[in-house]
Amino acid sequence: MRHPLPSLRLLAATLVLVAFAAACGGSNIPESLDGVAGDIYGGDCVELDGRQVTIYSGRSENLMDPVLSAFQCETGIETAVRYDSATNLALTLVEEGDRTDADVFLSNSPGPIGFLNQRDLLGELQADVLSLVENQHRSDDGHWVGFSGRKRVAVYNIDAVSADELPESVFELTGPEWRGRVAIPGTNGSFLDWFTVFRAQQGDDVATQWLNDMVANDAKYYANNRSIVDAAGRGEVDLGLVNHYYNYQEAAAIGEDHRALNHDLAGDDIGSLLIITAATITQNTDRSSEAHELIRYLLSEPVQRYYTDETFEYPLATGVQPAGILPPLNASGTATIDFDALGGGLEASLEIIEASGIANQ
Amino acid sequence: MTVPTATTQSGARAPWALRGAGVVLAVAFAFPGLYVVWRNLSTDADPIGLLGSSRTLAPLGRTLQLAVLVSAASAAIGTALAWLTTRTDVPLRRLWRTLLPIPLVFPTFIGAAAFIRTLNPGGLANDLLNSIGIERTFELRGLFGAWLVLTLFTYPYVYLPVAARLQRLAGSLEESARVLGDTPGQTFRRIVLPQITSAILAGTLLVFLYTISDFGAVQLMRYDTLTRAINTNYLARPSVAFALSLLLLLLAVAVVIGERTVTRSSTHAGSARSTRLVQYRLGAWRWPSAALVVLVALLAVGAPLVAMLDWAGDGIIRATRDGRPLTVDAGKVFEAARHTLESSVLAALAAVAAVLPIALLVGRYRSRSGSFSHAIVIGSFALPGILIALALRFWTLRSGFAGELFSDSKALLIFAYVVRFGSLAMGITLVAVQSVPDRFHDVGATLGAGRLRRFKTIDLPLMAPGLLAAVGLVLLSTMKELPISLLIAPIGYQTLTTRIFSSFEESFVAEAGIMAVVLVAMSGVLSWFLVLRRAEHR
Repeated sequence: MRHPLPSLRLLAATLVLVAFAAACGGSNIPESLDGVAGDIYGGDCVELDGRQVTIYSGRSENLMDPVLSAFQCETGIETAVRYDSATNLALTLVEEGDRTDADVFLSNSPGPIGFLNQRDLLGELQADVLSLVENQHRSDDGHWVGFSGRKRVAVYNIDAVSADELPESVFELTGPEWRGRVAIPGTNGSFLDWFTVFRAQQGDDVATQWLNDMVANDAKYYANNRSIVDAAGRGEVDLGLVNHYYNYQEAAAIGEDHRALNHDLAGDDIGSLLIITAATITQNTDRSSEAHELIRYLLSEPVQRYYTDETFEYPLATGVQPAGILPPLNASGTATIDFDALGGGLEASLEIIEASGIANQ
Repeated sequence: MTVPTATTQSGARAPWALRGAGVVLAVAFAFPGLYVVWRNLSTDADPIGLLGSSRTLAPLGRTLQLAVLVSAASAAIGTALAWLTTRTDVPLRRLWRTLLPIPLVFPTFIGAAAFIRTLNPGGLANDLLNSIGIERTFELRGLFGAWLVLTLFTYPYVYLPVAARLQRLAGSLEESARVLGDTPGQTFRRIVLPQITSAILAGTLLVFLYTISDFGAVQLMRYDTLTRAINTNYLARPSVAFALSLLLLLLAVAVVIGERTVTRSSTHAGSARSTRLVQYRLGAWRWPSAALVVLVALLAVGAPLVAMLDWAGDGIIRATRDGRPLTVDAGKVFEAARHTLESSVLAALAAVAAVLPIALLVGRYRSRSGSFSHAIVIGSFALPGILIALALRFWTLRSGFAGELFSDSKALLIFAYVVRFGSLAMGITLVAVQSVPDRFHDVGATLGAGRLRRFKTIDLPLMAPGLLAAVGLVLLSTMKELPISLLIAPIGYQTLTTRIFSSFEESFVAEAGIMAVVLVAMSGVLSWFLVLRRAEHR
């Protein structure tokens, strides 16, 4: 045989070509933006001025990219983003410690923020940025600010649940008529956060009793919000407790084939909690002004409009109204999370959740 | 064992350069394990105490149960498919040999979701059955669901090495057996099976380790295993997460040592590529055998692919009809595809190069330190990828070790991939090394060929199919890798899999579907490439 490893050689040749193609393609700055990013900022792009900001984003690229493109185009600050789940990024920030490249951390649920705050890894935000939102949407010690909200709701299959059956409270779901019909994302981050607030507001006894009753009522365990919305759409479960946001996304993605709708529980019920997605800066960032500029941008009117009109979240900047499609937040009963209590509270929540046996349902 | 094998070079000591390389590589592969150990020591982790709790034992038991069942099924299916597609006249062999490795490329988080989308209530198969009047309420979940999905995703770990081994078995013994009146079945049991046992065991070990480390499939199938417990604990109780990870690692090491003991006691058959392959006529079994191959291909490749095509097609149609515009364009897909190709090819070549010295130490020189390195390489496969990523962040940044030099570089990413998947290349490479009869070396040495020359002209050609299978395994596995790609890749370096993940988790299913289809198509081309080239040079 003349060629001992022909395929390896060919692969290597392919690789050289690929590397060559990579070297040829350079980045270019557009003159102006089109698409969704263009709706956020329609003007001409300024030259990049050498300033940079590095973001660890627990929100996905699909949701962040238009905003960051608009930010870069409008301000000339170059953005570098690492995307992953907020949990993984928070763990990474702990390992990287004060040597991290990250300036800004964006989380889509409160737990990871509390986790970092507990370890003193978050910097303090400037007062003018904090004051862009109402008091209940920012931390008392100034370490984070909310920039969009996702409400807890009941998602249900429209063929399996009739309108008059729909519950007003999560406490109804422990009754016999819901036996084996309800799904909960038992160990998911946002459920863990929600359950922690539940405990804080109504006490460990009530919250634990509710969860144990749900388990006894044959509640089904799913790994996350998305898989519950998917299961409700297919009719695999009748109803599930999730963040409102996913059903809008699923419906936008697959249209009328999706057979599930969101149902809002009573405004003062714990099942209507607003869960905040939040922005923070890292303790040792040396680009504090760029980081603040970015967070200010997230709370600007065009970006807030984008989050509510295009991705169906609740805007948090004072004065920006939610999209018409979203049910109004109940002014008096809107509960938001006291993140500052959350970091330490997660451990006890997980203890109760694991003891309930929900994960094995 | 009746196969003519040469005497081993017992007493021959490995060249010091090779031994040195073995030690360096062992250290490189050990770092995630050391990180887990360090994290256990630096926190109030109590792995021993956790072992006494039913909340650890129950998921651990389920993990073991699942891993044993998946291993058994994958071993059987992988071996059967390998034999059918290399040694029989089953129809369309080349097509199957291209298709059958593809399931390796499905990331389990979307692969399992695709199975659910296709097979579960309200899914595509269900709609189809409903339209012809069959009401079906079967639900894929729990132990059965996790077993089925993981078996279909992992049988290639057995299929690829066994097929590679079968292609290098001398046919003379089989022919003799058949001339003497053995049926194909008897020939398989008495002649072939003993010669491929080590390949089957090596592959099955990987299946076992992969299964205990999997999170994507078990969480969607709602089967509560140890990885679920680890994942839930990261934020709330980090010390528990690290203690459970240590238990996972210890379990892996125990299994690896067990496998080595079994393999060492079985003889290794030498073989040559000289004789032509025996091919069996299946006769009446031809069509039932074809049905088995088609069934596996349909389930393992077809079912997930149908769901992905459905997501993609539906989203594209919707976008053209005033629905939500797609958030990906051709440029983004192309860029991600290029990153995927480039990083996986580099990782695959580097991984095989990295494990080859260890395979030579173990396979040719029976070196004790080689065996130690071998166990480290294989055992680390049981660690979830996120731990390798965190360990790298820890060792390069926090500790100041290696410092900023490697942070945010492609080299670091390739290194992480090699550590994650070197184990995949290890088993097959070792089998390949052992398939080179020592007498060839003796002859080569007698004729005055230097060590390097002998390696190039004797070893490499004989090991080629095994090494290629190893490259293929690592290549396809790297293409789907998620946690390392997300955390270790240079910032902004998106692969198809990272884009699929971020789209899918936010219900941008059309975007996820499009990129998953591209990923599968790419893997099909690569797989075809490896199979076809190999076939031509037979």
